[in-house]
Amino acid sequence: MKYIAKKPKEGINVSDVHPLVEAGTLVVGLTAIFIAIVLLLVFLIEAALYFVPAETEAELFADWLPEDLVTISPSDDRLYEAQMLVNRLSAHWADAPYTFRVEVDDSDLANAMALPGGLIIVTQGLLDEVESENELAFVLGHELGHFRNRDHLRALGRGIVLSLFFAVVTGNDVAGIGINVADVTLRGFNRDQESDADEFGLAVVYAEYGHVDEAWRLFERWDEQRNGTTGIVTYLATHPDAGDRVEQLERLAQRQQWPAEGEVIPLKW
Amino acid sequence: MEDTVNSFSLFFNYGLPILLLVFAYFIGNMIEKGHFRNIRKREDAVHGFPVVSFDTMPEEWRAGSSTMVTGSIVISLDYFKRVIAGLRGLIGGRIKTYEPLLERARREALLRMTESAKEQGYDAVFNVRLETSRLANARRDGNGTAGVEMLAFGTAVKFAGRIG
Repeated sequence: MKYIAKKPKEGINVSDVHPLVEAGTLVVGLTAIFIAIVLLLVFLIEAALYFVPAETEAELFADWLPEDLVTISPSDDRLYEAQMLVNRLSAHWADAPYTFRVEVDDSDLANAMALPGGLIIVTQGLLDEVESENELAFVLGHELGHFRNRDHLRALGRGIVLSLFFAVVTGNDVAGIGINVADVTLRGFNRDQESDADEFGLAVVYAEYGHVDEAWRLFERWDEQRNGTTGIVTYLATHPDAGDRVEQLERLAQRQQWPAEGEVIPLKW
Repeated sequence: MEDTVNSFSLFFNYGLPILLLVFAYFIGNMIEKGHFRNIRKREDAVHGFPVVSFDTMPEEWRAGSSTMVTGSIVISLDYFKRVIAGLRGLIGGRIKTYEPLLERARREALLRMTESAKEQGYDAVFNVRLETSRLANARRDGNGTAGVEMLAFGTAVKFAGRIG
């Protein structure tokens, strides 16, 4: 056998695809797949909501509390007053399927949330930041609005969707991409829900006090001191801009001819 | 102020990784092209030197003396290649960004082995083998690869007389 020296042939072991083309194909393709999966899951959540009535949900979650919840002392005045206020406000929602329970989280970050089974969690930070009962009533009314639209279950479902994504891509360098795509896709739905909840909240405030004076004063303050704490930034991240909300609420009150002046009730603590 | 905070977090969450990707791509690409140019030049220089993978010496060869020659290279991924390969890892398929990397490693290892044989005055190498081993993990969780070693080795022979 004769030995003939040959130079190595190029292009057999290396695919003839430009790395940027490969990168572009993967990023666009995977983004599309992620969005499709998220939309499918959102659809499934909506279907589940349709088939599980609020009464069943209220029964299932009647005594449920989140495991990581750290509450303030049960004898705290603020807890009692918040619960009393919710009882009064929810009376304006005829045939509400829930028995609303209030818990106060000891976090200093101003926030409030609606959880399954009619559980409303407000943070200590929020209770310290509101300056009148009317302000607090609007926030609580807003949460009641979430229950009415059953947004709290959607939020829960989306949380599950996000953690599912997280589980799939964990240990992967590109974990962030999937999460971000899913998160941004979901955030779009969120803002509409917040506006709807705002409308319901304001209607409840009007029903209770006969006017809407000071109802959105909290958001006005946040809008004025935008350079405030990071807590506010986090709170607003998933919500519409505070200034936009104030404008929307003002327009709504005008349209409905709800009086903008009235007696403001001081806090009882 | 809030806008500033938002743009900062936007920058850190999306801008920085993208910037890093762009840098990694350009620098990695430059190094890769340079390496391939260098490999081709050196392959031309050793062209004609017999390097074969037979595990026994061809009969025509009359060996005077022999020794083992080795050539190895340790090569690492750049950030761009790693990220793209990570995306590929989600759906499977050919990891096209790794292919040129390993091609460089193989050819460089073979070249080093061949050059070593030539330098020591040997005439040919047979029973050439290639081995790859993964080096330490790049991350503490045991994932990620710091790099791979490509080792080429074979038996170099000095001819006693002319080859048939």
